[in-house]
This record gives sequence, structure tokens and C-alpha cells, in this order.
Amino acid sequence: MPDLNPTQYAVPLFVVAVLAEMIWAKLRAPQAYEPKDTLVSLSFGLGSTIAGALLGGFAVAVFLKAYEYRIFDFGPEWWAVWWAWPVCFVLDDLKYYWVHRAGHRIRWMWASHVNHHSSQHYNLSTALRQTWTGPLTFGFLFAVPLVLLGFHPAMIAICGGFNLIYQFWIHTEAIKRMPAWFEAVMNTPSHHRVHHATNPRYLDTNYAGVFIVWDKMFGTFTPEVDDEKIRYGIVKQLGSFNLLWAVFHEWIGILTDVWRAPWKHKLSYLLREPGWSHDGSRETSDMIRAKWQARSGGPVAPQATSVADRNAIAGGAEAA
Amino acid sequence: MSLPPLLVQSAGSLAAILALAALARWLKLGGHPGLSDEAMLRRAAEEIVDGFEVADFSLAADRTAALVRDPEGRIMLIRLHGSRHVGRIISPLASARAHGNILEVDCREPRFGVTRLELEDAEAWAAAINAVGRGRDA
Ligand SMILES: [Zn+2]
Ligand SMILES: [Zn+2]
Repeated sequence: MPDLNPTQYAVPLFVVAVLAEMIWAKLRAPQAYEPKDTLVSLSFGLGSTIAGALLGGFAVAVFLKAYEYRIFDFGPEWWAVWWAWPVCFVLDDLKYYWVHRAGHRIRWMWASHVNHHSSQHYNLSTALRQTWTGPLTFGFLFAVPLVLLGFHPAMIAICGGFNLIYQFWIHTEAIKRMPAWFEAVMNTPSHHRVHHATNPRYLDTNYAGVFIVWDKMFGTFTPEVDDEKIRYGIVKQLGSFNLLWAVFHEWIGILTDVWRAPWKHKLSYLLREPGWSHDGSRETSDMIRAKWQARSGGPVAPQATSVADRNAIAGGAEAA
Repeated sequence: MSLPPLLVQSAGSLAAILALAALARWLKLGGHPGLSDEAMLRRAAEEIVDGFEVADFSLAADRTAALVRDPEGRIMLIRLHGSRHVGRIISPLASARAHGNILEVDCREPRFGVTRLELEDAEAWAAAINAVGRGRDA
């Protein structure tokens, strides 16, 4: 639903903020920006808007159809029901949490979301590094329950836009911590740095959009520790500033794997978590973390792993 | 005559993007101090593959790349990438050629490129890299 989006009005603000952060970087941390990386990230942002405008129509059509079957009806002046807005915003953020979590755990969706993660830098330009291929995933279906509840697709789109605008400012190393009460409830630079980190202790955690409480509720929260340098990006860094490769590399990877895999494993290369392989030749984030724990005696697996998995990991560590 | 709004917005955004990237360059942001010493290589290798231990290493003369080996004989190529570095464990697909002190390592991976290193022991590393996956280093 890209067209009904407040983000386009925020673009001048984005530009000014990136500019300000560059000046901060000049004075404090020149390596926080890399011109080639910045160019790629910002091009991702522009391309994403265009792709959304061209391909988003299908999602809009699905939503408008689903809206005909809504359970509650806010009436023809649905936009005037003031309390529906905050309720919609919170539910949309809950929806965001689950889309985002799926985006990291299902390779088909990761192929699109990896675009946001493939920079080795973490600055405001990284926030604008948005996917071009979102419409090729089924992520938009996660919003259908909200439509069926009776929230108008336009209301959901506007809430989603503000959600994305909120997430812009948290992509920075210039802010260490916000006040404790804020860190407790809201997604912050500190929490989201963890999400962009590939340090084993941080992999696949902090999926929140605006409210960090979802991660705490669903067991995927990991706080930032101060004495460990964060390494940003993806487990297997691209090593290239080629924009088109950055856009499509994981899709190409999936096609190659599905083509080569034995029939009974083909679907798994599409639907299982990134890093899964039928012959155990690669590593998933859970495997990387388990190894790290066994080696370093690190804290128990992030709550993302089930109790059963944690027991298995503990057992493995003892046997080793 | 009116242009489609998407086109106008995109043109405006593109101009802003180019301006910001040019500014980043003009401010001389980025840059890499180079792979300086063994301690740095150890940290880099450990970052690239968690738990990778460096038993043996060779740093290119210009400090833009290095080869490291762990106690099990796994070889990792590390090279600069913008103001960060990247690396790959040498797979059986990879190949290397030495001409005197110059070593060229091709990881045979799309867009990762061929890495040139000036090393004292280029020949030995080439032989080691080409032997990966042939059972000699097992
Ligand atoms: Zn993510
Ligand atoms: Zn992010």
C-alpha cells in the first residue's frame, strides 16, 4: 500500500538528518559513513519507492476485497473515529513484528528483507535501505487480519508509514542510550543496533518496529552489551557495492539452491530459515549461536529458541 | 504539460542522493587504516567466522589483504571493503596463481572479485589454496 504513504512527505527531513549525521561522523567517527555504501543504501530507498508504486497495486486490490468482509464497521467516516487510529497503530506495529520475524526466519521473505541488512554500516542512510522485492513475498498478507477487523486499508497504510518514519532515527550510532523508561517500552538505537548485528549473541533478535515490548512478550529480546564491538551486516558479507547484486543476490541464491537440490528438499530452500542446507554444509543463526555458546560459555540462547532447543543446546555443550 | 508525480519525486530524490553521496566523499568519510598487525587480523578473522583461530598468517605488502590459516588448516582470505573488511574461507572451488611475489586469489564467487596480494611466500600460499578440497590438507 505504498501510495497512501506519509513517508514521501518525510523525505526532506531524511535528507537533512543524514546531512547532520554526516557532519557528526566527520567530527567523531569518519568511518561511520562510506560514500559507496551510502550511495547504494540511498539508491535502495529510491528504488523501493518506485517498486512499491509499480507493484503495490496487487496488495491494495487484495485489501480492498478483504475489507468487504470486515467484522466491525467504523462507518463511511471511518477516519473520524479518533480512537481507531491509536488502536490501528499499535496493532499494525504488532503485525510489523511478525512480518519482520518471518522476514528473518523464512528464506523466501529474507531474500527481500536482506536488502535492509546487507550494509556493513549502521547510520541513517541504512534506514533508507529498503527492499525492492517486497511485493514478491507474501508479507502483505499479515495485514489482512487488521482489514478483516474493520480497519480501512488507507488507515493501515498511514499507520504503517508513520511506523517506518519512526524507525528512521533509530539507525544511528550517535545516540548511545535513551532514558530508561523509553528504552523499556520503545524501540531505540541501542535495541536496533542489536538487530543489525551479526555477533552470535545478537543474531535474529529485536524484531520490533516501534514498541520493543513485542520482543519482550514473545521472547526475542536481547539487550545491547557495552563491552562488545558490534559487527553490522549479514553473516556472509557481500563484499561488493554493486547495487543490482545487493538487490537480487539472495533470490539468485534461492533459485540456484532449488535448482540443484534433490526434489524432496527443494521447498525447504524456499521456506526454511536462511543458512539451512539439506547436507549440513551451511550454518543457520541458531547453529552459529549454539557453537558460540559452547565455546564461550555465553548466556543461555536468546528466548527466541524454544525451551526444547535450549535443552538440546545445553546437552550438546556438556557433551562437547 | 505535466509530468507524472512519481517521476518528479524520483528525479528529486535522485538529485538528493547524488548530492549526499558526493558530500560524504567531499567530507572524506570512510577510509580504512589498513590491516595493521597480527592482533587486528585475529580480530577480523574471528569476526568473519566466529571462533576462527589464527595459527599462521601472511599480510600483503600494501596491507589491503591477508591470508590466515587456523590450526585445522582452514585458510581464510581477508580483504578491505570500503571502510570495513570482508573475508571468505577458501573453498574447493577457489583457485590461486602466483607470479613471483604476486598472488591472485579467485574465490569463484559472483561479485566478490579476484584479490591480488603481494606476499613473500606467494608460491606456497598458491599451492595451499589450490590443494583445498583435494584431501591433501586433511
Ligand atoms: Zn530485520
Ligand atoms: Zn533497521
